[in-house]
Amino acid sequence: MAKILPEVFYNEMKKLEPRYPQRKALILPALHEAQKVYGWLPSDVMDEVAEFIGVHPAQIREVASFYTMYNLKPVGKVHLKICTNVACCLRGADELMDYAEKKLGIKKGETTPDGLFTLSEEECLGACTTAPAMMANDEYVENLDLQKFNDFLERAKK
Amino acid sequence: MRQTLFAQHFGKPSNASLAYYLTAMHGYASARKALSEMTPDQVIEEVKKSNLRGRGGAGFPTGMKWGFIPKQSEKQKYLVCNADESEPGTCKDRQILTYTPHLLIEGLLIGSYAIGCKHAYVYIRGEYTHEAKVFQKAVDEAYEKGFLGKNIFGSPYSLDITLHRGAGAYICGEETALLNSLEGKRGEPRVKPPFPAQSGAFGGPTAVNNVESIANVPFIISMGGEPFAKLGKLDKSGGTRLISLSGHVKKPGVYEIQAGELTLRQIIDDLGGGILNDRKLKAVIPGGSSAPVLTAEEVDVVYDIEPLMKIGTMMGSAAIMVVSEDADLVKLLLRITKFYAHESCGQCTPCREGCQWMESLLHKIVHGHGSTDDLNLLVDVAQNIGGKTLCALGDAAAGPVISFVKKFRPEFEEYIKGAKHHA
Amino acid sequence: MPKCTIDGKEIEFSAGENLVKVAKKGGIEIPVFCYHPGLSVVAQCRMCLVEIEKMPKLQTACSTPAADGMIVRTQADSAVKARAATMEFLLLNHPLDCPICDKAGECDLQDNSFGHGSPSMRSTEERRTYVDVDMGPVIQKNMNRCIHCTRCIRFGEEVAGIHEMVAVKRGNNLDITTIDGKQLKTEYAGNYSDICPTGSLTLKDFRFQKRAWMLKKTDTVCEGCSKGCNMEIQQEGNKVYRCVPRENLEINRYWMCDEGRFNYHYTQDPLRITRLKGSAFSPTPHWDEVGMAFKKLANGATVQILIGTDLTLEEMQAIIDFAKTQLPEAKLFHFGTPGVRRTTEDGPLDQILKMKSKTANLNGAELLGLSPLETEIVKAESVVVFRGGRAALPKIDSKNIIGVGVFKESEASGFNMILPSLAFTEKNGTIVNHQGKSQLLKRAVLPVGQCKPLPEILMLVLNAKKREGAGT
Repeated sequence: MAKILPEVFYNEMKKLEPRYPQRKALILPALHEAQKVYGWLPSDVMDEVAEFIGVHPAQIREVASFYTMYNLKPVGKVHLKICTNVACCLRGADELMDYAEKKLGIKKGETTPDGLFTLSEEECLGACTTAPAMMANDEYVENLDLQKFNDFLERAKK
Repeated sequence: MRQTLFAQHFGKPSNASLAYYLTAMHGYASARKALSEMTPDQVIEEVKKSNLRGRGGAGFPTGMKWGFIPKQSEKQKYLVCNADESEPGTCKDRQILTYTPHLLIEGLLIGSYAIGCKHAYVYIRGEYTHEAKVFQKAVDEAYEKGFLGKNIFGSPYSLDITLHRGAGAYICGEETALLNSLEGKRGEPRVKPPFPAQSGAFGGPTAVNNVESIANVPFIISMGGEPFAKLGKLDKSGGTRLISLSGHVKKPGVYEIQAGELTLRQIIDDLGGGILNDRKLKAVIPGGSSAPVLTAEEVDVVYDIEPLMKIGTMMGSAAIMVVSEDADLVKLLLRITKFYAHESCGQCTPCREGCQWMESLLHKIVHGHGSTDDLNLLVDVAQNIGGKTLCALGDAAAGPVISFVKKFRPEFEEYIKGAKHHA
Repeated sequence: MPKCTIDGKEIEFSAGENLVKVAKKGGIEIPVFCYHPGLSVVAQCRMCLVEIEKMPKLQTACSTPAADGMIVRTQADSAVKARAATMEFLLLNHPLDCPICDKAGECDLQDNSFGHGSPSMRSTEERRTYVDVDMGPVIQKNMNRCIHCTRCIRFGEEVAGIHEMVAVKRGNNLDITTIDGKQLKTEYAGNYSDICPTGSLTLKDFRFQKRAWMLKKTDTVCEGCSKGCNMEIQQEGNKVYRCVPRENLEINRYWMCDEGRFNYHYTQDPLRITRLKGSAFSPTPHWDEVGMAFKKLANGATVQILIGTDLTLEEMQAIIDFAKTQLPEAKLFHFGTPGVRRTTEDGPLDQILKMKSKTANLNGAELLGLSPLETEIVKAESVVVFRGGRAALPKIDSKNIIGVGVFKESEASGFNMILPSLAFTEKNGTIVNHQGKSQLLKRAVLPVGQCKPLPEILMLVLNAKKREGAGT
């Protein structure tokens, strides 16, 4: 099988290898690292991760599909995950979500036709005292209101 | 005068630096003292005296937990820090990771020394990318200064710390699910026994402790177990508590109080500045979303583990969500239930099937199609889940349903009567 | 021995035994789904919850080892209610399509529902449905019937040594499937159907063939290799519908391979020769004529008698005795699996059950002092081949070949005469497995056509020869 994951993946893994007594423990870090490269986890990438770690590809599928942060389908350039859990909900997350859907012209779980934004509903982000909050790719955006959300979209489009 | 340990250092990103920690917080003095002047048993003894109880939710005495780790073990022993902070409402560990990461590292160093661990892991929730970066930087600094690695402070003791990122699963806050996740598996809770103290991470005896629990340890060593215990106003809980105060208060935030110092009402009014928009208080979820709800009449309870337990709820991770009269509790319960259904790992029957069933029933009620039978069925389903599941997620899902319906039944009945069809 | 009390009954146990096993010893059945004695314990289904004195919560019997003095109540109100609740949860999304399900009649879900569930349903929610994947030639998947017990996944990993069944996604969306929907690869796939406690994984081979409760069962042994896996033949109306493994902890534990499971098909193959068959010179022979054929052999210069290692000890002994008196000049050899001529060449074919010897009684043939056939091609003036049906036939270069036993048309093209005998499903007899363990084959169905037991055929030959001899 021809290698498709880049050198940077293997370099990062090499650093982590000695930090675990079992190779399997590399699965989560490896999937994070692979997703960093592609934005999601295509089947052949997961197979290569399995081969690298030395586990059956089945194990990678089981693990990857368990955790919500691993994207098993492609996502937009900016993945907006709006928390609608209790604390955010009390602070207007539902209105924010409605607004986001209207503004982006998509429903939660969808990606804009230009591939720029994917909108998701997110469970508690641990930003309850600065609610409502969302995650945009790796970044937290907190104390949101409609204006702040709008500003963020404008900045992201640039 | 309130004594705080953490809060004064929160808020400024530059406080995360080693330089700040060494100068402003006598950084690593406790670890130096533990490693050079104390035996591991003395450390555990001091933590036992401190009445430090787990800050993750269960409130189990930390010293006792460490005492369960066998002294002699053929297998490697591990200290695993639970930084998964995923109980809705909770965001206190995030403050420690962001502003006082070295406190956590020093706590890990002392704890690892106490139980004989050579490699500690910090399992941080995947979403905390910024926090992971800050903490990793602190770990790198500590290695550079020789506070981690081989022969720390010239002692024979060596320790490595590895940060392990989760990937989005509430259940990984459950300690055995966390261990599975650390080992590269699905985050499914394990059957107990064996308990982690016998067979935990990678099969070795393991102590799993919350971030705040571990971050308290340097204070215990520096001030002594008894003075730390005395910070708590009631008998059984020592130290301070970091409270995540959110929802309908004027000043949401993470606050630190001495354990048992204030009532819930004082926390809401004095710390939180009262109810948002000066509305009336309707309900309080006092310990993360899994804690049974309290009515406005019940908030004069002292905010500590035992008093809350006495009135049928729990302190959990000290996450207080305040709900004013503006909120629709039926919808709120649906949201909570949806969360647990979403986060159920699916391995055990009552949780996998029951949480979804409860969500469906609540959905039906909220959308005006529910009947009194549905409401009664909902409570019965919750009771059939509670206490029957493999891990505590089942209880976490059942508790809110039972308490919401019991305490706010008229609101549900209004939906059933059709008075509230607008949803 | 330590003792515990279950439902008021004092039961002895050995250390480490779980409550399900201990209860069973005392005749108390604790219902289970995910627990299987041959697999790791996961305590997921929560069906076996029982009350244990001094424990605040109900405990799963499968994951609780018995302790001395432990007092267990399987019929405590709380436990009875919890089991009923578990049944209700499990049936929430189950299609309840028992009338068209092959598992019906032998289904744990059905049995436990009857025993512990409620006759009525409180749920009116829409049921969860899945799109099924094709699992290959052996297993038919019906995910809607699945109760997520994960026995199949554990069987794959822990027994078959292949992680091909997976649990993907989580919670209510948990899907038990194959990796990326691929077909099953293991050669032990039939076991997935045996251990599935519902009709989620059934045998394609058995699909819509017969209701389980109509089948008559006979304990016997697989003849597929020298392992001697214990199995059960299930038949109705003299037709075998399937074979399933029987527990034998010293040999096959709870499992068997697909080759052995489906091996019986040849016995019902329409191309199996079940009538006396002669050659061009005698197209429709009669049993009376067989003596003539054998008499011709006795006059020949070289006769070789080939004995399949797929025959029973009793059959082999009868052949040896027959040859001693009737064909004293003949040379006797045993044959069975190319390349595995003697037990020293036999051994495990994989790390699970399969052995290299593809016949059941190589060990028995050696015990009777038979020598193996060493040549690739048998060259003799006359050859008599005795065969149970599985032994691989060697190439035979002879003008006069008589076959006795089970042959297919295609296998016996050069034969002058076929005397049809019994297959393993049709006879009683002893076989000796690779460990030297004697086990009994038992008759499950009656012989078909003109097939006769091998000793009877030999007796017929003897009598015919005598009669003809007296006549000349």
